[in-house]
Amino acid sequence: MSETIGKTKERESFSIRVKKDWKRNRSLYLMVLPVILFYILFHYKPMYGAIIAFQDYNPRQGVTGSEWVGFDQFIRFFTSPYFGRLVKNTLLLSVYGIIFGFPAPIILALLLNELRARRFKKTVQTITYLPHFISLVVVTGIIKDFTQSTGLINDIIVMFGGERSSLIQNPALYRTIYIVSDIWQGIGWGSIIYLSALSGVDQQLYEAASIDGAGRWKQLIHVTLPGIAPTIVIMLIMRMGQLLGTGYEKTILLYNEATYETADVIASYIYRVGILERNWSYSTAIGLFNSVINLALLIATNKISRRVSETSLW
Amino acid sequence: MKRQAKSAIRTSTGSKVFDVCNILILTLLSLVCIYPVWYVLMASFSDSSLLMQHTGPLLKPVGFSTGAYKAVLKNPMILSGYLNTLKILTIGLLTNIVMTSLGAYFLSRKGVLWKKPIMILITVTMFISGGMIPFYQTLQDFHLTDTHWGLILPFMISTYNMIILRTSFESIPESLCEAARIDGAGHWKILFAVILPLSRAMLAVMVLYYGVGIWNGWFWGSTILSDRTMYPLQVVLREILMANDTSSMTAGVAAGDVEAVGATIRYATIIVATVPILFVYPFLQKYFTKGVMVGAVKE
Amino acid sequence: MKRTTKRTLEKKERIRKGALLITAAIAAAGIAAGCGSKDGKDAGKDTISKEQTETGKTDASEPAGTTASEGADEGSKAFSYPVADGGTLSYWLELNANAAANYSSLNDAEFGKKLQENTGITVEFQHPAVGQLQEQFNLLLSNRTLPDIIEYSWLTYAGGPQKAIEDGVVLPLNDVIDSYCPNLKAYLEANPDVDKMIKTDDGTYYCFPFIRGGEKLKTSTGLMLRGDWLDELGLEVPTTMDEWYDVLTAFKTEKNASAPFTYWYSSQGLTDNNPFAYAYGAPRNFYIGDDNKVHFGAVEDGYREYLQTMHKWMSEGLIDVDLATLTNDQVSAKITNGSAGASFGWCGSSLGTWTSAGRATEEDFTLVSAPYPTVEKGDKPEFGQKDNDFVNMGCAVITTSCENVELAARLLDYAYSDEGHMLFNFGIEGTSYTMENGEPVYTDLILNNPDLSITHAMSGYIRANYNGPFVQDEAYADQYYVLDEQKEALAVWSDTNADKHIIPPVTPTVEESKEQAQIMNEINTYRDEMTLKFILGNRSFDEWDDYVETIREMNLDRVLEIQNAALERYQAR
Repeated sequence: MSETIGKTKERESFSIRVKKDWKRNRSLYLMVLPVILFYILFHYKPMYGAIIAFQDYNPRQGVTGSEWVGFDQFIRFFTSPYFGRLVKNTLLLSVYGIIFGFPAPIILALLLNELRARRFKKTVQTITYLPHFISLVVVTGIIKDFTQSTGLINDIIVMFGGERSSLIQNPALYRTIYIVSDIWQGIGWGSIIYLSALSGVDQQLYEAASIDGAGRWKQLIHVTLPGIAPTIVIMLIMRMGQLLGTGYEKTILLYNEATYETADVIASYIYRVGILERNWSYSTAIGLFNSVINLALLIATNKISRRVSETSLW
Repeated sequence: MKRQAKSAIRTSTGSKVFDVCNILILTLLSLVCIYPVWYVLMASFSDSSLLMQHTGPLLKPVGFSTGAYKAVLKNPMILSGYLNTLKILTIGLLTNIVMTSLGAYFLSRKGVLWKKPIMILITVTMFISGGMIPFYQTLQDFHLTDTHWGLILPFMISTYNMIILRTSFESIPESLCEAARIDGAGHWKILFAVILPLSRAMLAVMVLYYGVGIWNGWFWGSTILSDRTMYPLQVVLREILMANDTSSMTAGVAAGDVEAVGATIRYATIIVATVPILFVYPFLQKYFTKGVMVGAVKE
Repeated sequence: MKRTTKRTLEKKERIRKGALLITAAIAAAGIAAGCGSKDGKDAGKDTISKEQTETGKTDASEPAGTTASEGADEGSKAFSYPVADGGTLSYWLELNANAAANYSSLNDAEFGKKLQENTGITVEFQHPAVGQLQEQFNLLLSNRTLPDIIEYSWLTYAGGPQKAIEDGVVLPLNDVIDSYCPNLKAYLEANPDVDKMIKTDDGTYYCFPFIRGGEKLKTSTGLMLRGDWLDELGLEVPTTMDEWYDVLTAFKTEKNASAPFTYWYSSQGLTDNNPFAYAYGAPRNFYIGDDNKVHFGAVEDGYREYLQTMHKWMSEGLIDVDLATLTNDQVSAKITNGSAGASFGWCGSSLGTWTSAGRATEEDFTLVSAPYPTVEKGDKPEFGQKDNDFVNMGCAVITTSCENVELAARLLDYAYSDEGHMLFNFGIEGTSYTMENGEPVYTDLILNNPDLSITHAMSGYIRANYNGPFVQDEAYADQYYVLDEQKEALAVWSDTNADKHIIPPVTPTVEESKEQAQIMNEINTYRDEMTLKFILGNRSFDEWDDYVETIREMNLDRVLEIQNAALERYQAR
C-alpha cells in the first residue's frame, strides 16, 4: 500500500502518521464503526469456537470444560485411509470447476452483451437465471432422472448407436456430471455480476474504438474485457480461496456408494462423520485444515494478481 | 440512437454469422435452463398417482389437476411463512444495503492508514469461523434466538458481497468525489449523493444477492426459532421437501413407514414459494442498461 | 359427533372445576396436607425434595378423577390425574412429518390438548424443524438451560446413555420411577424382558421408553411382488432363492419388465435388512450367531454368496441397473407402472401406497407379500427384519434442568396408565375411536376422512403411528393396515427365527462407544462401496479376500470385542 503513505515524501514516525490519519479520516472511521462492531460481535466473538479442534469437545461442558487433546483430531484425519482420496477429489472438482465453470458465466455475459435485440436479451437473461432458484433436492433429482439408464441422455446415446448404462453410477463420469450440472444451474445467476460490470464500461470508449475502425472482436479485446477485468480478477481470487470448499449438499444428494471413489469430498466425509459420530471436534479440525489451505491459496493468488494485473483484495 | 448508427456501419458477413450463431446458442441455453422450472410447474399441475407412475421427461402435466395447489394453500404455515419472510426481507435488505455500502465505501477510499489491517481482518472471517455451536451461543448471549432479529442482525454483511461492491466503488473516477469534496461534501454526502447513484447497477446486484439469500435461507431460521409460526417460508418449504427423505437417514426401519407427502404437493409448494422471487429480477434488469456512467460524467 | 365430544368435554370440565374448588378449600384452610401424604416416599434426592410442596397440593386433589392405574403402587394411592394446580413443563420432541403437515405444534393438535386436559399439566411443546432433528438436538444440548423433557433416540447419544448422565444432561430415574411412576413400574415388573432393555449395565434407568406392545408391531418390512403377474404366469409366490430367480426371469421375459426387482437401495433401514442377504445368513451388519457371539455379516462367506447371486442377477438384467441411485419416488413409479414386478419395502408406505396407486390405472393390480427367502426349500427363514420390544426412538428423558421432577414424571408416567394408553394409541373416545365389543375402533374421522389420509388424520389424535414414550398397541396396526394384503404381509414377514439373531439394546461404555463409532465409520464406507462394486461387477470376486483383509485391518476385531463384551454384560443384567 505504498500509495497510501506515498504522499508524504519524508518518512514519518508511526505515531505521527496515526495522528495525521486520524485527523484526516476521523469521519471515515466513524462511518465504518458499525461495520467493525458487526465483525467483532458476530464473527470474532464466536471464532474462539474454532479451538474445539484441539479438544474432545462436548457441547454441554463447553469450550472451557472439554478435554484438551492437542493435535489428535488432525492426526486422525491425516492418517485416515480416505485422506488422500478426499483431498484429491475435492481439489479435482474445484480445479475443473475453475477451468470450466468459472469462464462460463463470463462468456454468457459477453454473448448477451453482443445481442442487439433488447427483448430477446432480457428474456434470455431471465430464463438462464431460473435454475438457480430450484431447490437442489429437485435439481439433483432431475439430474439423476436424466443420467439413469432410462434417462434422456441414454436415449440420445442409443440414438447414436450406443448402449444404455447408468451414467450416474459410473465413477469415471461423476465429475463431468457434477461440473456440467453446476454450470447449467449457475451460469445465468453467475453472469449477473458481469452484466452489471459491463454496464459500467464507458460508452465513449466504444465510440472512440469504432471511430478508430476497430471491429466487434477488437472492441471486445480492447474495450470490453479490460473494462470488466477487475471484477473477473476479484471473482477469481475469491474462487481460488474456496478450492477446498466444495459444499456437501449437492455431493450427498448426487453421489452413491458406487461413485464414492471419485465423488466423496472432504465436506461429505465430515457430514457422514457428523451423522455417525457427532464428533464436533473432528469435523472442526477438518474444517480448520480446509480454512488454512484456502487462506494460503487466497493470499498466494492475491499476491500473484497484484503483480500481474494490479487488482487485488488488499 | 448511437447504437443504431454503429450497427448500421458494421454489417460485415462475419459479424452477421456471429449474430446468428449467438442467437442460436443462447436460445439453446435458454431451453436447457427453463427445463427444471418447466418440470416443476408441470409436475405441480399433474395428477398425483399418474405422476407417480410417470418416468422420463415431463413436457406437459400428466392428468391435469389443481388439487395440489388447493392442498398447499390450505396449509396454515404457508401464509405465516410468507408474512415472516416479507418482514425479514424488508428490514434485512435495508440493513444489508446500508451496512455493506458503509463498509465498501471505507474499503474503497485511498490514503487510509488502517484500511489494510481492517481488510485483512474482514477477509479472514470468510475462512475461519467458530462453527455452528459457538455462533448459536453468541446469538443466545445477545438474546437473538426466537426472534426474527436473529435472522437479520448477524447476517447484515456478507463479506463476499462487500468486496464486490467495493470493487465497483473503486471503479468510480476519483475526480467525481474530489469535485464533491471541494463543494464541501462530507463522506456521508459523497457516499449517498455521488457513489451510490453511480453504482446503481451493482446495487441492483446487491439487492438481488441479499434478497435471494434471505429468501432462500432456511438453516438458521429452522435452528433459532422454536415457535413454528415464526418460520420463514423456506423453512416451511424445506420441511415439506424433506419429509420423505429424512426418516430413512435418521431412524430405524419403522420410522420410514410414514406416508409420503404427495409428490404434486411438493412441486406446488416449490412454485408457491419460488415464483415471487423470480419476478424480482426483471424489475432490477433496467438498472443493467448501459450508459449510467456516461451520463454522470457529462453532468 | 362433534356435539357429543363437546358434551363430554363439558362434563369433564365440571368435574375438574369441582376438584379445583376442593383443593382451594383445603389450601385456604391452611392445611399442609402434602407432607403427610408422601409417607416415606422421600427418596432423599435433592432434586426431588424440591417439589414436596407441590406434591402436597397435588395429593390433596385426590377425589378428582378416576384413573385405572390407581393402586398399582402403594405410594401412589394418594395420587390421581389430573394434577390439580397444574404447573408448566417444556417438552422438546420431533414433530413427525405427518403431523407437521397439519399442525404447527402438538399444542394445536387434539392429542396435545387432551393430554394436557387429562393430566392437568400445561405443556409447552417445542419442535425442531422437520429433517433437522440431529443438528438441532446437538444445538439444544449446548443451551445453558434445557427443556424439562427431551424425546430422542437416546441410545445413539454420542457415548451412550451413560455418557448423557455423566454429561449432566439426563437425570437418572431409578428413584423417580419408584416414587412417581406407578404405571411404568407396574409395566416393567410385568415385563422383565423390557425392563432389562431399558436400563444401562449398572441398572440405571434413564428414559421413558417407546415399546412395541405386540409381535405384529415389530416387523414392518419385507418382500412383495405383483400377484396378478404371478397368477397370469401360473407361478407360486417364491420362497427360495432359486424360485426368486425363476420368477424374476419370467417377469423379465414374459412381462417385459425392464427392472424385474427394484427397491430403495439407499435407504439404510431397508438395505440393512436386505432379505436376499438374510437368505445366506449374512446381514451386512452385526448379528448374534448360533454360538451366542456377535458377528459382522459383511465379511462372512454367506455375504460373498449373496453378492455373487446379486451380481449374477444384475448381469442378467433381473435387478434394476440404476439400483444405487434410485429415490423412493422412482421405485414407486417403476412398481406402479409395471417396469418392475417385485420390491422390498414397508407394509404401509410401500405395499399400501403402491397398491392403491397401481389400482388407479390398472384394475387388477395386486401386490402380494413373499416370505423372507431361504436357500433350501421348506426351511424356516433364520433372519428377517425385526425390532426389539424397546425401540431406540422417541424415548423421553427428564433433564437436569427440570425443576419439578415429580410433575415431569407424572406427565410421562400417564402414558403407561390405562387411560393414557388409550389416548396415545386411539385418541379421544367418541371422536377418534369408539368402543365396540370391548375393542377400540377408529371412527370415520380417522379411517375415512374426506380431507386427510389416514396417517395425517391419525397424527392429530394419536401417537401410535409414529413413536413416543408409551406402549404401542397392536390394535392400532390391525386397523391402520387396511388392506387384506397388508394384514397377511405382517404374518408372512414375521415368520422367521430373527429373534435369536437381533442384538438387544446393549450399552457399551463411554470409551468403547467412541472407539467403535470411529472404526465403524471407516468400515461402513468401505463395505458399502465394495458391496456395490461386487454387485455391479466393477470388482471381481478374486478380490474378496483383499476386501475381508482390509476390513480386518481397519480393526473390526476390536469392535467385535466391544460388542461381545457389551452383550455379555447385557445378558448378565
